Amino acid sequence: MRVASNSYTDSMLNQFNTLISSEDRLQSEVSTGLSVQAPSDNPEAMESTLDDLSSQAAQTQYSTNISTLQTHATAVYNAMDSLQTIISNADQIATSAGSGTISQSKLTNYASEVQQYIQSAVSLANTQDSTTGQYLFGGTASTSPPFTTTTDASGNITGVTYQGNTSVNQVPIANGTTVSVDVPGANTTGSGPRGLFTDSQSGADLFNHLITLQNDLKSGDTSAVATDSANLQKDEDNLTYQVANNGSTQTRLNTAATFATNQSTALNTSITNTSGANMVQTMVQLNQAQTSYQAALQSSAQIMQLSILNYLPT
Amino acid sequence: MIGLFGMLNMASQSLNTQMTGVDVTGQNLANVNTTGYQRQTVDIETNPDIATGFGPEGTGAGVASIQQISDALLNSQVQSQQSVSGYWNSQQSALQSAQTNLDEYLNGTASSSSSSANDTTSTGLSAQLSGLFSDFSSLATTPTSVAAQQAVVNQAQNLATTFNQVNSQLDQLNTSLNSSVTTGVSSANELLSNIASLNGEINSAEADGGTANSLLDTRDQDLANLSQLVNIQTSTSTGTGSAVNISIGGQTLVSGAQSLDQLQAYDPGNGQLQVKTANGGVPLTLTGGSIQGTIDARDGTLATLQSNVNTLASTLITQVNGIESPGYSPTGTTGTAFFTGTGASDIAVNSTLVNNPALLQSSASASSPSDNSVALQLADLSSTTQSDLNGQTFSASYAATVASLGNALQTANDQVTNQTAVATMLQTQQSDVSGVNIDQEMTNLMGFQRAYEASAQLVTTINTMMGDTLTMKTA
Repeated sequence: MRVASNSYTDSMLNQFNTLISSEDRLQSEVSTGLSVQAPSDNPEAMESTLDDLSSQAAQTQYSTNISTLQTHATAVYNAMDSLQTIISNADQIATSAGSGTISQSKLTNYASEVQQYIQSAVSLANTQDSTTGQYLFGGTASTSPPFTTTTDASGNITGVTYQGNTSVNQVPIANGTTVSVDVPGANTTGSGPRGLFTDSQSGADLFNHLITLQNDLKSGDTSAVATDSANLQKDEDNLTYQVANNGSTQTRLNTAATFATNQSTALNTSITNTSGANMVQTMVQLNQAQTSYQAALQSSAQIMQLSILNYLPT
Repeated sequence: MIGLFGMLNMASQSLNTQMTGVDVTGQNLANVNTTGYQRQTVDIETNPDIATGFGPEGTGAGVASIQQISDALLNSQVQSQQSVSGYWNSQQSALQSAQTNLDEYLNGTASSSSSSANDTTSTGLSAQLSGLFSDFSSLATTPTSVAAQQAVVNQAQNLATTFNQVNSQLDQLNTSLNSSVTTGVSSANELLSNIASLNGEINSAEADGGTANSLLDTRDQDLANLSQLVNIQTSTSTGTGSAVNISIGGQTLVSGAQSLDQLQAYDPGNGQLQVKTANGGVPLTLTGGSIQGTIDARDGTLATLQSNVNTLASTLITQVNGIESPGYSPTGTTGTAFFTGTGASDIAVNSTLVNNPALLQSSASASSPSDNSVALQLADLSSTTQSDLNGQTFSASYAATVASLGNALQTANDQVTNQTAVATMLQTQQSDVSGVNIDQEMTNLMGFQRAYEASAQLVTTINTMMGDTLTMKTA
């Protein structure tokens, strides 16, 4: 068959281009680990990878949310823990004062000790989140301290008022799942989440109970102190309920955190399966492409030197 | 008997004949790299015999014609293949630009393990969109955090800027596709008038029975170039030599040496240029060629792409504003829309929020500054299906848009690969027939050279014989 001189060079150029573009392609697969990089490489894989990536971004965000909530829940728990100490100390005072054999001066000392507890409790009630500055027990109205106090001439707290509300924020921790770690400081509506310090459902009213106890100690009314002790028991019961609630929320958060991590790993696997390059295969192919390219260069360099002109007498 | 002078004449004619052979070989060798050149051969014929008493006596040979070696069927196949290749090449180039403009690629770093990509990320709108929804979710977690508010505003600004950029780049692409229609039309017009005048020149060259090989080459090349731009129908005129008539979309534009009409790009009213005949004003439906490829890519895939991106932006604006506007900021302000603008071209974050992210309205009630209901609804948008987006979520709808562009480009890429293979095959076949082979030409050259040498030897011999004849008298 007749072959034109230029057919040689043209077809060689075509072959070189094909080989070098496949080499280039494989090289970028090896360096990125991805067999799909542009939408046109594999539209279906691109679509599913983009879907997976946005799901993965959501899962990463859930993990971040969960870790913020875990910090928040721990802060709430710490406040509850301190509060438990206060309540049990006050209850001890009430129990020992209620025995009726304590001198008035001792009772007055007790009263001032209770005042200390009231002040500690108020400061716990106005705890802020260390990162966001949000008040832990103000419901969703918490840009100012939720509990304000009235004091007498000597600076003793005689009344505590709740400024917050009874709502709590629900935060997303998984697709369609939200959780709340907030506890309102007080809820006297009889419905919704129970208040930590004052709650009409459980009868808890910590500040008023402590103030009454303090007043009864001051006035030496030891028979009333017995009632105060019973009231403090309601506060303690309410607190136990809240601590248990906090515990179960933290468990939920831990479970959600594991779930988010697992989801993220699963999505990563799915991305790798659809768009990832098989490294072993790609490396072998790259080697093949290099060898072919070298062979083509070498053979064409030899063939192109052949011409009748080499053999004609000059 | 033709006698000594007759023989001398024969030798001289033979010298000329072989010289023509050398000349044609030289012409072939000189054009070995000329695109569109079709090799020529010398057609040598024996001269008529003369009758003698001993029978017919030869009178040598002369050049009958210089032939161009070409295969008309192959040429017309190559020509129509050009239209198909032109169509898909221009589609490919337009769609490739769109893919670059959209800037939606996957990035990753290869890990050392046998098969995996680590940290796969996407560029472009997809990552920006999920980033915004993540920041809404983060805001729902800490609604009064200044950092969270700032993050939402920054991310929304990034997203809006990306929308603006993608839109303006697609606009620019549209403009440059329109101007490539105009350029294509003017190149086609130039080729059309060239072909008409070549028809004329070929006619007059062939009128006296000659052949116009190099003019034919030029015209074939022009026809191939024209086919690349538009799909043409050709016919050979009857009675006017080998003139080629050209019609496009049923409209005759070139008839013999006459250029009857030309092409014109016109705006049908929507700014998207189409093609019609210049004098007749007939809108043309071109079925192939790069001009139609450009028009189809522009009005098909790219128009859909741009409209999808625009719908995505406008739906985002409506949905986010619908939730955010009636909300309350931690300081109790309300009514500040989150986004301004109506689509991808002008979407922007409200400058009030840019200047003061704390005015972001994440609460459902003025009396609950740290309420997160609004932020929660905004975060939920990420998984909410939108009727304006064919019942898909924002991310899924965008991923589908990207995939449909990818599909179109993949088809164009495949077609270009296939058509290139076909074109290469046809061109190889064509050049096997018409291309110059140096080895063959060099061999022919030696043949002509030796024949010339032999004819020269004949002249010398006759000369000696004539000398002998003349000296007979003096001897």
